Amino acid sequence: MISSKGVDFSKILKRYDISLQNDMTPEAAAKKMLPKDPVFKEIAECVMYKKFKEIGPVVTKALKEKNPLDIINDGLVAGMEVVAKLYADHVYYLPDIMMAAKTMEIGIALAEKQIPGGRVTKGTVVMHAAEGDPHDIGKNIAAVMTRSAGYTVIDMGRDVAVTDFIDEMKKTKPLFGSGTALMTTTMSAFPAEAKLMQEAGLTMPLMACGGAVNREYANSFDLGIYSQKAPQTPLIAQKILDGYDWKKIRENWDSIVKGE
Amino acid sequence: MAYDCADDMVFGRCKHPISYGFGLKIGAGEVIPELKYAPRPGTEKDPAKLRKEYIDYISTDALNRAVTAGFPNVQLETEWVSQMNQEKLSAPVVAGQKEICEKYHEEYGINCGVRQTIPDQREADRGLRLGQDTLHSYPEKFFECCDIACENGADNLSVESLGGKEFADYAVTHGDIIAFLFGVGYLGSIDMEYIWQQMVDIAKRNRCVAGGDTDCSGANVAMFMAGGFLDNDVQRTFSAITRCIAAARTLVAWECGATGPDKDCGYEGVICKAIGGKATSQEGKNCQCAHCDLQGNLTAQCCDLWSNESVEYHPEFGGTSVQCWLGSLGYECSLMNTALQTGQEKTLRDLYMMSDRTRGPEAYVLAYDHAYEIGKAIAANGNNLYLRSKAAAEKAIEILKNGYNTKELMLTKKQYDVLMDADKQISALPTEEDKFVEDCVKKFTGVVPNFNMKNYGL
Repeated sequence: MISSKGVDFSKILKRYDISLQNDMTPEAAAKKMLPKDPVFKEIAECVMYKKFKEIGPVVTKALKEKNPLDIINDGLVAGMEVVAKLYADHVYYLPDIMMAAKTMEIGIALAEKQIPGGRVTKGTVVMHAAEGDPHDIGKNIAAVMTRSAGYTVIDMGRDVAVTDFIDEMKKTKPLFGSGTALMTTTMSAFPAEAKLMQEAGLTMPLMACGGAVNREYANSFDLGIYSQKAPQTPLIAQKILDGYDWKKIRENWDSIVKGE
Repeated sequence: MAYDCADDMVFGRCKHPISYGFGLKIGAGEVIPELKYAPRPGTEKDPAKLRKEYIDYISTDALNRAVTAGFPNVQLETEWVSQMNQEKLSAPVVAGQKEICEKYHEEYGINCGVRQTIPDQREADRGLRLGQDTLHSYPEKFFECCDIACENGADNLSVESLGGKEFADYAVTHGDIIAFLFGVGYLGSIDMEYIWQQMVDIAKRNRCVAGGDTDCSGANVAMFMAGGFLDNDVQRTFSAITRCIAAARTLVAWECGATGPDKDCGYEGVICKAIGGKATSQEGKNCQCAHCDLQGNLTAQCCDLWSNESVEYHPEFGGTSVQCWLGSLGYECSLMNTALQTGQEKTLRDLYMMSDRTRGPEAYVLAYDHAYEIGKAIAANGNNLYLRSKAAAEKAIEILKNGYNTKELMLTKKQYDVLMDADKQISALPTEEDKFVEDCVKKFTGVVPNFNMKNYGL
């Protein structure tokens, strides 16, 4: 091997990941965000520290003195909001989000049982990976992030037939539908689905995502909107909830995702 | 180990060169560009359109550019789109590519051939083995595709198999290195034994070369999600360990009788080459059309084919996309081949490697001297699929820790924490395969979606 003696590697590469690393601790970042109420704080901390084995007993204990809906909103969701902030600040990473979301969902399932008629979420989203496409890791991550933001997600899985997706959209009439595709030849399912949605009188947006899809393609057919990364999906969902249609989402896309 | 020492490994030469197609000799003293492409959306809708896209446009454009620029060799790779599991769509493409390669070889003397990479559409929830998937019959279609490819003139039969993907997805998103070891290193290897024994038989029957595989759906997912310096989803120490575990899996194709070259996106190919001595296809700086990674130069260090990963067919200023990216590949190969001809190949190899060696943990473990050590750890455990995967992970951790401790490799605090956590978990594993499997079944049943031991014949 040739010698690297005397080589100034700073002229060859710069490790921006080292210089940009955030030395903030979760505790410091969460200090101002955790609930003050000790019961809700304990629940939120369980979520924040991903204590999925402890969340059950903690929520069960809390249900004896607190309203289940408050437990969800002021404890579990509040904890997840801290996690989202930690993720945005590069203190937490994807595995942290996944484990925290799992913890939150265990807690929500317990609390929901005490709410007559179940919990009302912000809205329902139908997700799927396109027909012929076996790759769904991106869809799974987006589903977790969307659920964590307070939406009900109907996850249809991968390689979902166009007709099955349309049947679910007709049945559920969700806030919007979402599909992922990793291959250029499977993403053509999305314009086909959008056309069938329109024929069925459905006007909600169809979010096209995944490795093969770009913004230009998603915007090339009526109803189509784009999400480049999983964390953008809840941001766009909020705007749809606020009344934006697919045209307005497209017009305001850059400001909605804000570089996320 | 095929090589006595790491320094014996170079690009363009391997211990077991292989010839196929029209004059192609892989690993016999030259690095050959391997061009991969994707048809434009919509062309998959009917056989005539798809054939035209692949033959009249993509293959013709590529071969024309190869001759125009004076490249002596080119390998095309058609990675089948999912719709090509229908014979009416795939057979005309395979036969047409064979025909046009023959035409260019006869007219211009260019050495050329086609790797046909069939789609693995098998799904863990429906079943990975014959007779299990009653909805789509994907396992049956998988082997039918092998037949179609070989019967219609494939020069090289390859695949990016998906065995263990259900675990890889879980492992990468949850940062669970044991799930990766069990799913990819153990179950994925068992699945590769299952499919590759049959693929090799099919290839032999049709006098086609059985090429190789890659852990694209596992280690590459980890690497892509680990991304670059602005990405934060997966830690690069984690993805580096997954890459080394993947080597123990990718090796299985060759052990089943595949002759290489393996697949370009298997960055673990350098480790496999150290063990098996067969030709490896790699990708790096000239695959920026598909993705950016942190070892663009380094992966050229010991390659035998040099690939662009994939590009969608479309126009560019310099011609069509396949022409532009073939140009990029061809000139890089020309540089490597000049080094080989002038006896400077080890110098160029080292320059490629040194420029990326410390760019990140993934590059560090794949530097050929480290790759060789990981290969030795795998080989020392022979055919035990569990122990060799575990040994690959242990050696990767040791190399990364040593690099960090000697201050050659910088790590962020999070990268270091994840490395130490993986070290702790791997160190606690049993040495007995049965105990490991029993523990994993207990731990992951009901946790990893679609986990079913029957998919692996267990």
